[in-house]
Formats: sequence, C-alpha cells, structure tokens
Amino acid sequence: MSKRTGTDGSLLASLPWTLGALAFSVIPHLQYLPIWVTAIFLACSGWRLQVERKRWRLPPAWIRIVLSLMCFIGVLASYQSVSGVGPGSALLAVMAALKLLETRQRRDQFVLLFISIFLIMSSLLREQYLWSLPYLMTGVLFTMTAWLRMSEARRVSVGRSLKTGARLMAYSIPLMIAMWVFFPRIATPFWAVPIDTSSATSGLSDRMSPGDISSLSLSNAVAFRVKFTSNVPPPHERYWRGLVLHRFNGRTWTGNEPSRGSSARDAVEYLGDPVAYEITLEPTRQRWVFALEIPYEWDRNKRFFMAGQQQLAIIQPIDQRITYNAVSYPDFRLNNELQQFERNRYTRLPDDSNSRTVELARNMRKSAGSSEAYINQVLRKFNEEEFFYTLEPPPLGNNPVDRFLFDTKQGFCEHYASAFAVLMRAAGIPSRIVLGYQGGEINPMGQYMIVRQADAHAWNEVWLPRRGWYRVDPTGAVAPERIREGRSGAMFDGIGASWGLNAPSEFLYQLTMTWDALNAKWNEWILAYGPDNQGKFMEWLGMQKPDWRKMMLTLVAIVVLLTAIISVMLIMRYRPPAKDEAARLYRKFTGAAGLEPEMGETPFSYFARLIIERSEITTEADDITSLYLDVRYGPPELASVKALQTAVSEFPRQRQ
Amino acid sequence: MSSTTSTYLDFLKFPAFREAAQIRVQRWARKRQGTDKAVTQLKSRRIYILPTGVGLVFGLMTFTMLLGSMNYNNNLSFVLTFLLVGVGFVSMHQCQRNLVGLEIAFAGVDPVFAGQAAEFKIAITNHSKNRRPHLRLYVGGITSHIDDLEPGESRVFYLELPTSERGRVYLERFGVRTLFPFELFRSWAWLHMDLSGLVYPKAARNVPEPPPTQSAHGHRQHDARGEEDFAGLRRFHVGDSPRHVAWKAYARSGELLSKQFSGADTSSQWFEFDQVEAADVEQRLSILTRWIIDADRTQRDYGLRIPGHEFSPAHGEGHRHRCLEALAFFDAAEPDMKVGRVYS
Repeated sequence: MSKRTGTDGSLLASLPWTLGALAFSVIPHLQYLPIWVTAIFLACSGWRLQVERKRWRLPPAWIRIVLSLMCFIGVLASYQSVSGVGPGSALLAVMAALKLLETRQRRDQFVLLFISIFLIMSSLLREQYLWSLPYLMTGVLFTMTAWLRMSEARRVSVGRSLKTGARLMAYSIPLMIAMWVFFPRIATPFWAVPIDTSSATSGLSDRMSPGDISSLSLSNAVAFRVKFTSNVPPPHERYWRGLVLHRFNGRTWTGNEPSRGSSARDAVEYLGDPVAYEITLEPTRQRWVFALEIPYEWDRNKRFFMAGQQQLAIIQPIDQRITYNAVSYPDFRLNNELQQFERNRYTRLPDDSNSRTVELARNMRKSAGSSEAYINQVLRKFNEEEFFYTLEPPPLGNNPVDRFLFDTKQGFCEHYASAFAVLMRAAGIPSRIVLGYQGGEINPMGQYMIVRQADAHAWNEVWLPRRGWYRVDPTGAVAPERIREGRSGAMFDGIGASWGLNAPSEFLYQLTMTWDALNAKWNEWILAYGPDNQGKFMEWLGMQKPDWRKMMLTLVAIVVLLTAIISVMLIMRYRPPAKDEAARLYRKFTGAAGLEPEMGETPFSYFARLIIERSEITTEADDITSLYLDVRYGPPELASVKALQTAVSEFPRQRQ
Repeated sequence: MSSTTSTYLDFLKFPAFREAAQIRVQRWARKRQGTDKAVTQLKSRRIYILPTGVGLVFGLMTFTMLLGSMNYNNNLSFVLTFLLVGVGFVSMHQCQRNLVGLEIAFAGVDPVFAGQAAEFKIAITNHSKNRRPHLRLYVGGITSHIDDLEPGESRVFYLELPTSERGRVYLERFGVRTLFPFELFRSWAWLHMDLSGLVYPKAARNVPEPPPTQSAHGHRQHDARGEEDFAGLRRFHVGDSPRHVAWKAYARSGELLSKQFSGADTSSQWFEFDQVEAADVEQRLSILTRWIIDADRTQRDYGLRIPGHEFSPAHGEGHRHRCLEALAFFDAAEPDMKVGRVYS
C-alpha cells in the first residue's frame, strides 16, 4: 500500500512555511488554550517536519482516528462545550495538529492554511487590541506566502515568495478599506452571541465581603474613558456610581439584580450645574452602567434603564465596548419620603453578629443627640483614632465589622463602607453601600479622562428625614488624599503606588498616556464603527440619508474602480520592454556625441571614428558601445538594458 | 477541456453532461478564435478564467467569515474578511494576467512508431518584465510538466500524445493554463494550431529473415548505389533522392523526372510488400518497418517496393524517413483525410 511508504520529502519547501503560518496564528490563543492542546500542536508540528526531513512514515489510519476521538473528548472535558470562541479555537488547533499527521500531498496543506485563517479570525473574536491589526496583517501575509510556496513549480527563494505575497496583499488593501468603510453594518445579530466566560475581565463584583480577601490587586486596566463636553468636575466630585448593595448577612453585602424601577428617576432632585460627558465603557459582562453620580439624562436608544435604587443598567450583559452620552448634576436629593418597608430594608442587620459594633453604635447615637451629629462623630472616629488605609489588611473572620473596628483597624474602602453602614443601621439610620469608581486621571494627550479598575471604590449613602439619601464617604475620613487625588496619586503605607501620575519617569508617563490616547482613538474610530458611526460617517462624506442600498452601490462602484486600477497596474507590470529601446538609446548617444553615424556603419567602426575626433570621451563611448552590443546580441536581459539606460543618461553630463 | 487535477468537488462531475458541454464550448471557442498561427501571442480576450475547487472553498470560507463578522459586529474580523476577499479579487486578475502576452510557438514533433508517444514540443516565451510562474500545457487529460518562466525566458513544454495506429497524430488544439498565484482560479487559453505528427507503423517484434542481399560480387557496400549506368528517365516519385532528379529536364519542361540507373538492382537488398509472408496488411507493414529499422541500423543499403511506391536502394536518414513515411500512409484513401488519432 502506498500509504505505508515513507514521505518523499517533496513538501520540504512549503511545509515549514505552512507550519510557521499555523504557529503564528496560534500565538494569541496560547494563554487561553489548555496546556495539553498546545503540547499536542507543538509535538505534531515538530514531528511532522522531522518526518518530512527523514522520510519517515506517517501513522496508520487507526492511530489517527483514536487520537482524533481522544482530542475531541479532551476538548469537551476541558470546556464542557464545543461552541464558543474558547472551545472553537481549541478544536481548530487540535484539528490542525491531527491534519498534519495525514498531510501527505502538497494539496493537503490547503486545509492547514484554511485552519490558520480561522485561528486568526477566532483570536479577533476574543480580543481586538491595537496590535491585533498588524498581527492579522502579518498572519495573512505569512499564510499567503506559505500558500504561494505551496504552488510554486520551481524552488524560489523565501524573499521572493514574501515579496510576491506582500505585493498581492498591497493590491488588496485598498479594496479591503473600501469594503470595510462601505459595507453596511447591521445592529441586530443573526444569532445570539455566546458569552465567553473563559476570559472574564477584571471589574466590579456584584457582592462585597470585606475581610475575605486580604489584599486588593490594583489593576491598571481601563474601566472606562470619559470625554467631557462641559467642565471637568474636580477630583472629589468624581464619583462614578455603579451598583447598590443593601442586603447584609454579617459578612457579605449583596444587592438586587437590576430591574426597572417604575419611578426611580422621578424621586431625584438635581442640583447645581449640569455636567455633560461621553463614556466609553470596556466590556464588563455585567448589566451595570456607570455614570457620574445619578445621571439626569442618558442615551435613549441604548436600552438603558434606571433601576429601583437609581442605578443605571442595561438589559443585556455588556460584552462589547459601548459608548454612551449622559448628563449629570454634581448634587442631588433623593427620596424625601421613605416607606416603612424601605426603612426596614435599609436598617436591617442580622441578629447576633457584630454585636460589639451594634452596642457601640447605640451608645454613640445616644450621646450624639441628633442623627447628623452621630454621623459626624463616626466620621471623626475614623479620622482621629488609629485607623489606617491599607490595601493589604489582615483577614477578619466571622464578625468582620467587630474585628475591624476594635482590633485590626486596617482596611480599604470596602472595610470602611461596610463598617460605616453597620454603624448607621445599628443606630436606626437607613444606609446602603454604593460600588463604583472614584477618581479618574486626565490624559493630556487626548483630553479625556481614564478611569481604571484601580479606581474602584465603595462608599455609603445614608437617609435622613427631610434630607433624603445623600452620599457619605467614610474612606475620605481616613485617607482624604484617596478622595482628593484619586488612588493613582495616593501613596498608602508605601504600597499602592501605581502608574499614571506616579509613573517612574516623565518619559514613561508620556509613553503610557500616548499609548492610551492611541487606544482610545482606536476604539473610537475602528472598533466602534457600527451602524450609528457608519451613518454619521456617510453623512459626513456627503451621502444623504444613508441606507444600505446606497452604501452597497458606492461599495460596488469603488471596488470596480479600484479593480480597474489594479488591472492597469498589472498590465504595466507585464508589458514587454519597449520594442527597440536599445536603438533609441544608441541614437540618443550618437546625437549627444555630435557625430552622425554613416549608413551601414557598425558600432565598432563608429566608435573608432568617434574617438579620433573626440578622444576625451573614449571611456564613456567604449562603455556605451559594448553595452549596446550586449543588449543587441546578448541574451535578453533587462539588467543590460537598464545599464545602457544609465550609461546613456549620464553621458552628456560627463561631457561638460 | 477536461482536467486531471482532482478537486474537492469531484462529486459534482457528471461525465456525460460534462462531455457534451465541453464539446459545445470547444466548438464555440474554435469558431470565435479561428485557426492560430504556429507562433501566437496570447491576447487577453481569448483567456478564460474560472475558480478552482480550492477557490470555491475559499469563497465559502470568506462568506462564512463575513456572516460571523456581521453577527459579532467585529470590525477587525471585517478587516480580515475583506482583506481575503481583496486577495481573491487580486488573484483573479493576477491569474489572468499571468497568461496575457505569452508567446506560444510550435517547436516541432519528431515522427514516432505507432504505440509510442508523439512528443509535441511547444515553446513558451515570456517577453514581459515579470516572472510567469506555474504554467502548464494540456490537451484532454494529458498535461505537460509545470514550469515558471523568468522575464525574457523561453522554455519548451512537451505534450506527449499516445499513438496507436500509423498515419498521423493530430493535435487540433491544446491549452495553456496557470493556477498562479493561490490556485484559487484557473485561467487558460485554447490554441488551435492544427498541428500533426507522423506516426510510422509499429515495428514488428519477431520477423522472418529479410530477403538476402542480391549482390553476386560480394561488395554490396560501396557498389550499391546503382548509379553506374544511366538508363533513362521516369516520372518522379515521392521518396526519390533529389540528387536523382533531372533538374535540367525540369527547367526545360517543368516536369519532375528522376534519373534511372541500370545495375541498381544488382547488389542491394529489396524489401517487397508482396514478398512478405504475413496474415494481413498491417502485419506486413510492421515487418517491413522492422526490416528497414534493422537495415538502417547496420548502414546497409535497402530498397522498398510497395504498391504505388518504389524506393531505390540507398541508406541514410532521409531515405529511411521516406520509406517509413510511405509505409505510414500506405493505402490511405485520401491524403487529406484524417488518419490516426485526433487530440483536441
């Protein structure tokens, strides 16, 4: 059976390139792929190359079938699913590895190259960074080069294949741009986009258990970017309200799933001057939408709604970057009246937990006289006693609030917010916890604000009769600089120094800021090019009432035009050299020499006659004569025509 | 046109339908293009192009990717998809351009014996400043090797057409095709040069001894030309040596006459159709062919006498060719009628 004979080494010219293209396409998946998939891929690639070199045999069919089954089951076991980007790319990688085991002919490599393209595609579905564009371009170039090497008859140098690949790609880039710009984008997907849980992003969690985590990692990842169309609020007013937690079980605070509050917005009284801004929110895979305090207005067409506790939310989890406009007022009044059930809800504490705190609160409330005085007293306690702000507090155990208030006295915003809320509730004052971001850093390169995950914050809202809900930030009492300058600017116990304003050097700071500004532009111009932006761009181009028909027509027209241009360029590339270029050049030379050749005179005798009259140009005339004879009688080579061209064009200059 | 290249879509091939369609298309092309000269430069209007199986799969892939990009509203996937669509577009034009301007020239075909493959030599010249990769000639399922042409380069491609019977092998038309750059498209041109090659009869393997040399004096070698004594003139027959043509008489009368010499028969071998003992005509011709080959190999003089033709004993390449040619066309009803296999 021919199957069992060794390979013939005929794939040696193309296989390394095919493998290289495949490997390049796998790179962005490496951090997500199970380690065994990577191992199988690498092993099969290396082994297959060695097979081709050493003319070994390929494995028999049964081994391949068993391996395929095992790999399929393996992927299923690793992901509990075979759909979605994660398992999809794992399957592609495994398929490529297994296909290698039966890649016998030149043409089998087509399948590998198709897989290579799909791998690039699936990496784009997962993440679209700024470098993804050059990455995908390079990936396509490698794939196309491998493709070319597969179909070359003679062995050509790698440089040549790369050059041809790059040239063909360069021709297609204008076509790509035209199609990209004009291809009509649609708003509604054809099928539900599966949410990929394998690559959860860092972000706010919807629960809070201070004392469970003993260190808070500061991620410099961008949470969102804000462009202000009015004045930028001062740092201590930059409270980006997110979700509200009101349920406490002694250790953990939780809130409600977002649901539409019927008259949530009517309960708000907005005070002060409005602030208008546009937020570009990175995907959170949650339904909470962040805004400055309680927003007054927001994009009506974004399917946002205001939930019962005045939080902004969206009906579907945010798995793509979204941009929205909003208007907020720096100050607000809320719920002057509180129903009895609400009062209960916001003052409820679990029995027999944190009892020392409850007792402390009752005593302090009694001595304070009024609720306002009590609140101030609590804040003063945080400020004046030995409370420390630290990102690495000790763990707190079963009665976290007690232990925090009386023993450790170290913590970050969550500890203070939690303790404060318990102290309020124990004294009968309705209170709740708000999770969101506090602060934000202006990027001078792009005139916008960056709010990072490290700016995540927790604070409180308390309710007082006749005043309604209002914000109290106990962390501000302990570490006012945290609120004044934002976390990026603060140094707490020597830790917590992060990038941004505290970047090691001015240069690095500039660099990070420029990079972020580039990313912001990238998001704004490239990634956010959806139905809305496309419509706006078409209008800017002068298209009236853009719709998909007009865009498709424009697309077709431009593609036809570009194709015609490419066609002409190709014709120019393939045109034969001018018919008698040599004769024309020679005539130019005799003209410049100032001596008319006689009828039937050979170049040699003309040369002899010429140097008698003008001996000063002997060398040049000799060069030109022999080059002319080369072109005329030598093998047809473009190089010699070119040499003659240069010699003749330089000839008159040398005369002077 | 048919192709030996297997594609992923083999199952779509309905042999009968394909054949009928092919014949129609071929007739149409022939009518449209007319007969080509032996040296023909390919113009763009006669170059045809269709996607290959790989090209169709590629198209399907980009379409799937487009749907995916639209669904996810993923602008970088759009970039990737449209880049590939662009590459497809460009490769279509590049594929067609790879043939335009090529010079195709017939460079001869040597006579073969029936059963051997006639090797049609066709030179392709690339007059342009650019490389022309992945060129190939084909006719029916027969293909030449694949080769690339550097700028200014000329290369001979071979089409080896099997023969089975004596007479001629006709190459009415052949194609030149390319898959460059990505094998997504196949572009081709048909050439109708009406080429043909000569097919001698098949040489028999086991043959009876040829008739003995008729030389009594034993010096048949140098004496065998039969040119000693002029014996008169007779009408010229195809195969007569030009040296025997009476050129003076031709100048006078305009009639081609051959000089006859006496004594020609005395010292040479005659192969006569009537003397061969064999079952049928083809067998006889085969045996005669073998005798001629053997005699030629040993540089002996030999003459051939078959109904309608007589070649006086001689030797040499020309003589051998004339004799074998006469055998090849023996009994052909009309010289114009196509005898032998026609490839198109």
